[in-house]
Amino acid sequence: MNGETILPYLIIVPLFGAFSMPIISLAGRKAREAWAVIISGITLLVGSAVFHSVYENGPMLYTLGAKSPFGKANFPVRIVWEVDLLSALMVLMVTLVAFLAVLYSLGYMKHDTGLDKYYTLILILELGMLGIAITGDLFNFYVFLEIMSIASYALVAFRNDTWEGIEAGIKYMFVGSIASSLVLLGIALLYGQYGTLTMGYLAVKIAQNPTVVAKVALAFFIAGLLFKSGASPVHMWLADAHPAAPSSISAMLSGLVIKIGGVYALARILFSIYGSSVNMKTVGWVIIIFACITLIVGNAMAVIQTDMKRLLAYSSVGQIGYILLGIGIGLAAYGSRTGDIALAGAIYHTFNHALMKALLFLIAGAVIHELGTRNLNELSGLAKTMPKTTFAFLIGAAAIVGLPPLNGFASKWLIYESSAMFNPILATIAVIGTAFCTAAYVRVLYTFFGKPSEKVMNARDPDATMLWPMIILALAIIVMGLFPWQISDKVMIPVAKALENQLGYIATLMGGA
Amino acid sequence: MNVPDISIYYFGAIALVLIGLYAALVKKNLLKILIGLSIMETGVNLLLISIGYVSGKSAPILSEGVGPTQAVDPIPQALVLTAIVIGVATTAMALSAVVLIYEKYRTLNVEEIRRLRG
Repeated sequence: MNGETILPYLIIVPLFGAFSMPIISLAGRKAREAWAVIISGITLLVGSAVFHSVYENGPMLYTLGAKSPFGKANFPVRIVWEVDLLSALMVLMVTLVAFLAVLYSLGYMKHDTGLDKYYTLILILELGMLGIAITGDLFNFYVFLEIMSIASYALVAFRNDTWEGIEAGIKYMFVGSIASSLVLLGIALLYGQYGTLTMGYLAVKIAQNPTVVAKVALAFFIAGLLFKSGASPVHMWLADAHPAAPSSISAMLSGLVIKIGGVYALARILFSIYGSSVNMKTVGWVIIIFACITLIVGNAMAVIQTDMKRLLAYSSVGQIGYILLGIGIGLAAYGSRTGDIALAGAIYHTFNHALMKALLFLIAGAVIHELGTRNLNELSGLAKTMPKTTFAFLIGAAAIVGLPPLNGFASKWLIYESSAMFNPILATIAVIGTAFCTAAYVRVLYTFFGKPSEKVMNARDPDATMLWPMIILALAIIVMGLFPWQISDKVMIPVAKALENQLGYIATLMGGA
Repeated sequence: MNVPDISIYYFGAIALVLIGLYAALVKKNLLKILIGLSIMETGVNLLLISIGYVSGKSAPILSEGVGPTQAVDPIPQALVLTAIVIGVATTAMALSAVVLIYEKYRTLNVEEIRRLRG
């Protein structure tokens, strides 16, 4: 199959689905739910096809506007979408988790109103993330970033009859707007200095003439994107926003949005645009320092939470720390084997964490759906009445801690291994973070297996539409855990190489059809 | 090119960004924070526009006597149009959230809107 012809459908399908949703909803609730599932299912198929095509045939380029990089006038008028292996992997991750979240919403959101708006927004959120993953143009990246952000502000504040959603939503909005402005400022500076917005050309021009302006722009990008990914000094919004959203949305926010809009974008800008034209060691260490603070603070704060979803949100902060650590080491040890391993670990962990955290948030949603509370003190003995849910939680928690037969083990191992090779102190910090993380999840499990309280006795496992997405995610975690090194060698190491290969990224752009 | 003319716009743009950032970080009233964010966005937009400005050239609209060489750089203008639209959407959303906040809390002071903890 020719990859370039199907690539635009990655945007067209969810866009069409989102804006036809209000019309379809006129036909009633069944039609609306079927439509949401069909659209996100088709997007998943297209996403898998794109991943397959990129995996088989190498990176693809899609141009909107002039085909030739040199154009008719002395500059080409065009926007490019450039999908390398990393983008394709992110596309697969987004479409998979988004599909499961939509499926889960059918049962979970049954008692809410305004559902046509909900499904419209969830598809727009998916569309924004897919756009960020495939774009090769800086301003196009900004537009998709804002599409994603605005949809997620609205979804965090979706339950606008509660004070919690609104307060979290407005905090998220303020922080997100500042971050977006910083990113736009960086883009403006780069355009002013180099006169182009295509990431590949920018890479060439920055390599030819690395000016102070480019470095200032890099600082703006790092600041803005660390905000968006919820790294530590500025993680406060995340712990408010992710628990306040409906659980299916929390799964998407924690599993996907902070990765695509934060970590992926950061990696793309650091490796594909700047690459070797800046002092990679310094920039790498800046990222590493933020990563260490993030993974200690996030995991430690998770231990003391009594609110289940808030615990999961802080745990997300901690896991972002691991991913950033991998990227930082990958940058500081660029080109060496340590760097490869660290980067592969970071990407692997990004994918794994999307599955694990989506699973855990979906479980939290099931618990809220049944019991109406997420206070851990009221949830003791849940294992008796919700055995399947508890079992799924056990798998998710074991995977996120990094126990061997599950997928989290391999990715965390790669990060530990590379950090030990790079600098033993970093490995120590990473292990301390995991100790906190273990403490937090053991506490939840302890509660679940404790003496049943009165309230818990009436609970039961949720119905099929909510149970299946959890089962699928748990199965994916177990299956991925059975082949850790095969996945690492066949997928993650090539992805890391593709990200490091800045010249390949530029060459794809120049040689594009 | 007439550099001193241009640099006024640059200083203005940076000043707007800083004023906006100050308001967003220091002010206590939600509406004032929102105004600060809008000012910051305007500053960034002004920076983008002034990057594309070439002294003495006309607007990039195809008309008689105006070819590609006589017009200013059209790309920043397209970018700023997009950025303005995005900004309007964000502001509208934030304003509607502020209305709901006021209904729930009867105040706009951020120090009193702190029921979320942890």
